[in-house]
Amino acid sequence: METQILIITLVTVLGYTIAKLKKASVEISMLTATLAGGVAGAIFKTPSFIEIPRHLIEGAFTYFDVILVFSTATIFMAILSESGGVAYLVRGTLKAFRRVRLLALFVLMVIILIPGALTGAGSVSLLVVGAPVALALQELGISKRRTAAILFIIAGLSAAAPPVNIWAMIVCAGTAIPYVGFELPLGIPVLLLGAFTMLTLGWKKEPSIAQKEEHELFSSIPDKMIWWRVVLPFFVFFGLIVASRLWPFSLPIFGLPLEFTIAALVAWVLSPIRINILQLSRRTMDRLLPLLATMVVVGMLQQIMTATGIRGLLAYAVISIPLVLLFISLAAVIPLSEGVLTYGGAAVFGIPLIWYLDSIGLHATVAMAGLSLLWPLGDGLPPTALIGRLSVMVTEYKENYWRFLKSTWLPWVVITIVGILMVVYSNKLEFLVKWSM
Amino acid sequence: MNYIVKIKLILLGLACLIAIPASFLLYQHRHFKIPVVQGPGVTQVVQLSHYLPGLKGTRADTPVFILQGKEPGGKILIMANTHSNEPAGLLTAIIFIENAVVQQGTLYIIPVFNNSGSRTTKPGDGYPLYFDIKTPWGKRRFRMGNRNASPLDQWPDPDVYIHYPDRQLLSFIDARNTNRTWPGRPNGLLMEKVTFAAMELLRREKVDLAVDLHGAETMFPVTNCIVAPEKSIKLATLTSLTVKALEGFDNHVEPSPSRFRGLSHREIGDYSETLPFLLEAPIPFLDQPTGPKTVDLLLQGKDPFLLRLAKKKKLFVPYDESGWPMAKRVGQHCSVILELIRQYSRKNPDRAIKLTNVPRYKEVVAKGVGYFFLNPEKADKKKIVDI
Repeated sequence: METQILIITLVTVLGYTIAKLKKASVEISMLTATLAGGVAGAIFKTPSFIEIPRHLIEGAFTYFDVILVFSTATIFMAILSESGGVAYLVRGTLKAFRRVRLLALFVLMVIILIPGALTGAGSVSLLVVGAPVALALQELGISKRRTAAILFIIAGLSAAAPPVNIWAMIVCAGTAIPYVGFELPLGIPVLLLGAFTMLTLGWKKEPSIAQKEEHELFSSIPDKMIWWRVVLPFFVFFGLIVASRLWPFSLPIFGLPLEFTIAALVAWVLSPIRINILQLSRRTMDRLLPLLATMVVVGMLQQIMTATGIRGLLAYAVISIPLVLLFISLAAVIPLSEGVLTYGGAAVFGIPLIWYLDSIGLHATVAMAGLSLLWPLGDGLPPTALIGRLSVMVTEYKENYWRFLKSTWLPWVVITIVGILMVVYSNKLEFLVKWSM
Repeated sequence: MNYIVKIKLILLGLACLIAIPASFLLYQHRHFKIPVVQGPGVTQVVQLSHYLPGLKGTRADTPVFILQGKEPGGKILIMANTHSNEPAGLLTAIIFIENAVVQQGTLYIIPVFNNSGSRTTKPGDGYPLYFDIKTPWGKRRFRMGNRNASPLDQWPDPDVYIHYPDRQLLSFIDARNTNRTWPGRPNGLLMEKVTFAAMELLRREKVDLAVDLHGAETMFPVTNCIVAPEKSIKLATLTSLTVKALEGFDNHVEPSPSRFRGLSHREIGDYSETLPFLLEAPIPFLDQPTGPKTVDLLLQGKDPFLLRLAKKKKLFVPYDESGWPMAKRVGQHCSVILELIRQYSRKNPDRAIKLTNVPRYKEVVAKGVGYFFLNPEKADKKKIVDI
């Protein structure tokens, strides 16, 4: 069976490589790999040829909810931006905090951390506050490349931050470990690593950038724009989230897509200038299409990988390596699994890893927290690169993607070391779990 | 029409060519009926909505088979397909429904506890849609379902699931998991209504024992075991020791964690007089490091990767070339349920439950699961209940 799965894996990789050599986009290349893997699998009847269409369609819906969240959140921010609200917000933040750079950086970090921490999705952070924070950072004299790097790392950390960490929740659900005691094991490293990132990437000022952008930015604010027109849509959005936490048994579940839609409608109604909502939505969806296509195709790929046994082979390869090598390999395996499978990586690798680490006497909750710091790094890696691509998008960074990713190296390395050390020394950090409860 | 539009139309046509037949297969799966024959012991079939009218007309409503003995006695509820991707429980429940003859006490059997979950698949996980069990009269087909209810029946998901009434934060997906929504609420989410209805059944009918049938990965520490809270642990231990001594299979006891909320073995015990038990039989199909997710893996449980991991002592159950066949899992479930009943009846003669005609472990392993199924084609149509 191993030979069979290896052949299917090779054909899948070959499919991707050929498509890439033909200069196809990431999405088309992944689709080619998926179809190649499916057909190769069908030769061995895993799955049978007749089942491939069903697997493709079923897999396409793996991230359907995420796609809805991305779409509605981006339309919400597009309305706010078109109304001049984003520029207004940046001007306000800068007026309040510009003189004390350290404080400005810290406040901006907290602004990015909050939406992701509440929803467990770094993408929500970027879609809701990414654009204004990006402008604010650039106003502070930070280049677009470094701004995108800051957003990528902090948005990733926001997804790992408590109270909602979807990777940990997926692993908890699969390992029957209660999702409790994560506040300090996640909260402390997220804040420390976030502050470290802001300082290493944001401390250096490039004045020429600020002067150039400032004039353009402030001139785009309509005269009638005032603070409540900007704040109210956010208030409605966060109000709905907070209310669902405060009164979970009295309120109906709206879900993030509807919450973003309501906030978008409020922003549209309050806009001081008239916005053609249909045209704007269409433009926004056009912009988002490559990202959404990636999510659809990744779901298909994941399904074919499972049905053919490739996913199992990869999980087996990780679990069967010696312990020391396993710890070292976490630096690559965890981010790469996220890059290919997004949250699926937590199920494929996270669950068996935590079972195994637990069985050799490590502390499962702290180990999960450690792994949770590594997963978001993978959101910058192809083929999905969800957070990386969103960071580049909201910053309007147009240069080479890898140059942007390269500029994250220092926080990336530090986060990796901290994450792995948390796994290795999880027993010694058990007190963090106890203090959280 | 320009070149680009032509290409787009061709691609759209191709997409439809894939999507339409695929969607039809998924539609068929959602509406596939499993005929169950009411065996000699079945005295009544009601819907779960009998205990909570709010479930009526929803995909969550599901049949409850009642097998009442002539003599009054104790009562037991058996629930299967709480997670519909762990089908050993469903097959066990059908063996009880189609074979058991009750002399004393009452059996309540819900073969498809999460009905919605049994009619959906798990996107990304490549499950087969159906599996067939060989019987002496041919094959009997079953739906393979998912761990959670279908989003078609309960949607949208919250961004985080807040357990009622303890407010413990659980993964958003657990809002659709009927082993996280206990004890439920009458006006809550659909899956909370399902568990609430079952709680109502337990309370109103004064049920003595509740058994929730599951399957767990071989790499999961809580597998091949009986999970029981403090109040049930003595009975679980007696049962575990007896089946080990008399029938030769391991089924250790795991204490139900008091801080992990929403599980049947925790909440049933805390919110009713019933003694709850959750039975976990190993299901290699659900392990992550396995080969292709085929029907064969589901039924035989043989996998080369797991075999190697077993040699490296990374599994929590004994595992060899024979895998973990379905008959072994179903046989264990049958024996453990019968032994729980026997031990309880011994200690509580006034609430005894006596039944016959249900096979034990060795018989199921020897004859196969299908041997104990009745043929719906030959049964009286009035005796057929579709689940």
